[in-house]
Amino acid sequence: MIATLLFVVFVVMMLMGVPIGAALGLAGAACIALANADVQWWGLLAVPQNFYAGLGKYPLLAIPMFVLVGSIFDRSGVALRLVNFAISIVGRGPGMLPLVAIVVAMFLGGISGSGPANAAAVGAVMITAMSRAGYPAAFSASVVGAAAATDILIPPSVAFIVYSVLVPGASVPALFAAGMVPGVLAGLALIVPAVWMARKHNMGALEADLPRPPFWRSLREATWGLAAPVLILGGMRAGWFTPTEAAVVAVFYGLFVGMFIHRTIRVKDLYVILRESGELSAIILLVVSLAGIFAWSLSTLGVIDPITNAIVNSGLGEYGVLSLLILMLITVGMFLDGVSIFLIFVPLLMPIVNFYKWDPVWFGVILTLKVALGQFTPPLAVNLMVSCRIANVRMEDTVRWVGWMLFSMFLVMVAVIVWPELATALPKAMGY
Amino acid sequence: MSTPSDPPHAPVEVLSPDEADEQTRVPLAIEDWLTVLVMAALALITFANVIVRYFTDQSFAWTEEISIFLMIVLTLVAGSASVARNRQIRIEYFADSGPESRQRALARFGSLMVFALFALIALLSIRMVWDDIRFEETSPGIGVPRWWYTVWLPILSVAIALRALGLFIRRGRAS
Repeated sequence: MIATLLFVVFVVMMLMGVPIGAALGLAGAACIALANADVQWWGLLAVPQNFYAGLGKYPLLAIPMFVLVGSIFDRSGVALRLVNFAISIVGRGPGMLPLVAIVVAMFLGGISGSGPANAAAVGAVMITAMSRAGYPAAFSASVVGAAAATDILIPPSVAFIVYSVLVPGASVPALFAAGMVPGVLAGLALIVPAVWMARKHNMGALEADLPRPPFWRSLREATWGLAAPVLILGGMRAGWFTPTEAAVVAVFYGLFVGMFIHRTIRVKDLYVILRESGELSAIILLVVSLAGIFAWSLSTLGVIDPITNAIVNSGLGEYGVLSLLILMLITVGMFLDGVSIFLIFVPLLMPIVNFYKWDPVWFGVILTLKVALGQFTPPLAVNLMVSCRIANVRMEDTVRWVGWMLFSMFLVMVAVIVWPELATALPKAMGY
Repeated sequence: MSTPSDPPHAPVEVLSPDEADEQTRVPLAIEDWLTVLVMAALALITFANVIVRYFTDQSFAWTEEISIFLMIVLTLVAGSASVARNRQIRIEYFADSGPESRQRALARFGSLMVFALFALIALLSIRMVWDDIRFEETSPGIGVPRWWYTVWLPILSVAIALRALGLFIRRGRAS
């Protein structure tokens, strides 16, 4: 009874546009008070305790640091040089610019940890370049928004860090390794429809006339950017640093490149970079800590077990339940962002995962793939919002183009479900 | 050229540079400068950790406690600015469409809920801090009194609650 009330109040508040953190915190507090009516202070002291404890976790420090990395590399001029280098390799054929956009977004995914930051960095360079070559702006925005979604799969990834904090059995290095193959597959899956659509509709006809950057000079200029993922991922793999430390090394590397090599970041830009990334981190971390109150109230009410039992005894079978979960998450994902989905649903779904003895790392990859799809599924598509704003088009105009790319990436998710080794083989081979 | 259905709010993870800043009576520069300083400190401490361990083989682990504390301060201080700017993660689909009067009413309701939550946290955390003082709890890493850290929770929660109240008042005025 209390639990039903909790969910109804929570859902109504969210739909009314109350900040998700506040809805989670208030619903959790109301529940704790109702369940402990006869205890001193209605047991509400658990509210500040859970809020404080939910924040005071060292692994969470990786979130502000990776947000900072994204903000710095966004301005470091690396994206532009990577694009030139990629064009110098593939040349100026029809459909080559969408391919370049996707490959560069995947590469930047190896540096930054959030999709919208990636969309901003790639979009700033690619959308003008593509419209100069004659691609429609809505198509360019769709390609950039979809390509940036691979970012949260390709390590490092803020989504995996949040998942790892919620699920003790899944370590950050294991999740990062597990995301690698599905992330690259997702990128390849996007290239096919993007190039095919470009050729079919004869887009980018002007592209062949544009100059091709010289290979060696482009390579030399792109070196600093090319080395960044090697430093971050290689450093973590070699055991030089933890994920948080890798992020902070990337911060100073990016600052060095941006301030002294490419000279795109000036000293006064540091204020904006730090303020912006600080505020974005706080927005994420506030939801993380307030969700702690909600999760605690759920666990004390004891509602999770009956729901789990009802689901696993429903006769749907393992794959039936999994399909149902994905269907539900896709629906929810049309309205909620990825971090909130993790925070609300992972505590609810973990007992089901344990019941079927699913690998928590594999399940994390599936959830992240789902969130990546949600990042470019209208109407609430954070990546498309960014790329549409750069391209100055309405999100409705992208619907025509994103459909095939969504379908193609959805097939990757199905593949990871059918062959779990796609995700689990790499972390196993690396010994995590 | 402006497009009619441009998203009215920046998506969560990228701030729009050309969006006009909220006009508040208490300057947001307070939170902004604190945010910048804390972010810089976090990056420098963590980086120093890597350098020191690499060159001297010595662990600098006690800084972990300070980093965690700084991260909590960052969340509350920068969170306060984000509340004043109405940038919390929320479902905008229904709240930011329809007649303007309804949009404004929903924005006011949302800020009132944020106010209620942080006022509650502020009140309750005073009791938590009092317990830390009374039982002379010390921090696990450095061994200083725990309330040195926890005392900031009620103080900064009050700041967030007041920012939410300010937003509530600003959204109530006719634009």
